[in-house]
Amino acid sequence: MGLLDKIRQTFGSQPASEVAKKRLELILKYDRAGLPPNAINAVKDAILEALKDFPFIDINGVNINISENGEEREKIEIEVPVKEK
Amino acid sequence: MADKVICVTSGKGGVGKSTVTANVATALAAKGYRVAAIDADIGLRNLDLVLGLENRIVYDIVHVVQGVIPAEKALVKDKRTKNLFLLPAAQTKDKSAVKPEDMVKIVEELRDKFDFIFIDSPAGIEEGFKTAVTPADTIIVVANPEMASIRDADRVTGICEAMGKPEPKLIVNRIDPKKVARGDMLDVNDVVEILSLELLGIVPEDPNMVSYINRGEPAVLFEESIAGKALRNVAERLLGKEVPFMDIRVEEGFLEKIKKLFGGS
Ligand SMILES: Nc1ncnc2c1ncn2[C@@H]1O[C@H](COP(=O)(O)OP(=O)(O)OP(=O)(O)O)[C@@H](O)[C@H]1O
Ligand SMILES: [Mg+2]
Repeated sequence: MGLLDKIRQTFGSQPASEVAKKRLELILKYDRAGLPPNAINAVKDAILEALKDFPFIDINGVNINISENGEEREKIEIEVPVKEK
Repeated sequence: MADKVICVTSGKGGVGKSTVTANVATALAAKGYRVAAIDADIGLRNLDLVLGLENRIVYDIVHVVQGVIPAEKALVKDKRTKNLFLLPAAQTKDKSAVKPEDMVKIVEELRDKFDFIFIDSPAGIEEGFKTAVTPADTIIVVANPEMASIRDADRVTGICEAMGKPEPKLIVNRIDPKKVARGDMLDVNDVVEILSLELLGIVPEDPNMVSYINRGEPAVLFEESIAGKALRNVAERLLGKEVPFMDIRVEEGFLEKIKKLFGGS
């Protein structure tokens, strides 16, 4: 590795350990829920597609998450806000 | 004692289950407790090597299951540490030769005669793992500070929970303080935070470990071994003592930082 790469690595990017931590936190979230890693995005796309024609729904505010309440069965929670009057 | 039947498991292979089992069992026996260590890795017998007992084996766990000999009679007496006994795994190809109910029966046979019974689990989350975990009232999960090992540790934790077992206790093995300081390796605190398990031990990478195992002499028997010290601490914690965790950080001086920047290590 050249000096320039060293400097770039030192100042530019995150340490590998931090990257590992972030990746693991995400991986475990899906592993624990028993979901494939891209499940949420796929569900979200399908939901948005289904909702897009309803004028009273605030499409930009739709929120999809894996619930993390430690319950026995994991849930995918979908929040669908109604547009402001 | 609540921590009497202890299963050491990990999901991922090669992270240090047998090393932890042999050393913690030895440390407790050296303190005068009667300890049995069961090698549940059927077909891949290894615990005997770490203890240096491979030449003393006559019977194995499959003989016990088949009713050839009672469990107590099949035990190999340790050559160094009084009060330590090994029930060797079989080298059979049939991994299902020992079923969960067989292991429960063996543990019941031994329970009254020992203060501690360790079960060295095979890697994986298959039948052999379940057989090892089933009789345990305490589970130790060993993990290396490394992506796949941590992920597997979490899987194993989930399966133990589904089996109705108490939450496993965590041993982080092979921490390399230099790599942690460089930001290359996850720190113990990160691992604990990610897995959210009770920490039972922090075992540093020990360059002499390979030589201890080559000689069949557990590291805990050597004052100078850092891993040995960490594993003796684990034994103390299992006895309910509050032992502070070793501080294994390296101080990174200004000079190190400059050197690192300019291509040294
Ligand atoms: N703290 C340590 N420092 C250095 N080397 C270690 C340490 N702990 C374990 N090792 C090495 O790691 C290797 C694997 O250890 P061990 O056999 O205990 O793992 P295991 O989890 O029982 O493996 P398996 O899944 O195959 O049963 C051994 O060669 C051992 O020397
Ligand atoms: Mg092993």
